[in-house]
Amino acid sequence: MFAAPLDIYIAIWLYTHMTTQYHTDWLSSAFQALSDPTRRAILARLAQGEATVSQLMAPFELSQPTISKHLKVLESAGLIEGGRDAQRRPRRLAPLAMKDVADWIEPFRQQWESRLNNLDAHLARMKQQKET
Amino acid sequence: MPSTPAAAQKTGLVIDRQSHTIRLMREFDAPHAEIFEAWTKPEHVACWWDAAGEPLAVCNIDLRPGGAFKFVTKGHPEMPFAGAYREITPPDRLVFDGLGAIGRVTLRETAGKTHMTVEIECRSAEQLDDYLRMGVDSGTAQTLDNLVAYAQRRLAAVP
Repeated sequence: MFAAPLDIYIAIWLYTHMTTQYHTDWLSSAFQALSDPTRRAILARLAQGEATVSQLMAPFELSQPTISKHLKVLESAGLIEGGRDAQRRPRRLAPLAMKDVADWIEPFRQQWESRLNNLDAHLARMKQQKET
Repeated sequence: MPSTPAAAQKTGLVIDRQSHTIRLMREFDAPHAEIFEAWTKPEHVACWWDAAGEPLAVCNIDLRPGGAFKFVTKGHPEMPFAGAYREITPPDRLVFDGLGAIGRVTLRETAGKTHMTVEIECRSAEQLDDYLRMGVDSGTAQTLDNLVAYAQRRLAAVP
């Protein structure tokens, strides 16, 4: 029914990139990269922390060449990047992608967080008034 | 403005672009009837609606289907939240039109605690984006760590 949060991030991120009218070529490659469910699942895994090809093989039950092929597509779309350890070649979600998305949605979320914190405090006052 | 640490955030937020709906979820330690009252009586709404914590400058409520409401904050009198009620079903459901979107408040009480869902259904994906942008009232700069923690928290919420 409701889209998984990662999908939301991806959708909003794509939207913000679209509205800034940057790299049209990049955008179509990003869309293509995201059209595959396995690649989306890989992104969801990487959003929890960086992982190497072998770490990705086990949960997805895919061969190393298949995983590598998917990673290459994601990498060229700018969605993921290489981690710090050059030997193990871990991949991680491109932090800039995360930042763009969170920057955009955070003020809205914070506004409601504050509003509902107010409601919470007000409900406590209502309860107190009823008790006295 | 200091940012709230991720652990202290109590409001869940899900955005479904396919149905252009924003869904907020929160638990309250109060019975649903109390929360329904807090949403529908001006003397209560005026106390909590403004995120800035100030009492509302204007809080008009005509609580009947088709009846109008208008909430005006002190800080942004030029941006009132106004609309009309669609459905009033105490103590667990309130539906209204506000700023061109449909708002649905659903309250589900279990053992004295209430799970509240606020859905904001926009007409289109474009309107949804506008709606989200309305929350932008300050150029809050966040550290990347906070942002990543936020994103991870959202992902951890996937069942």
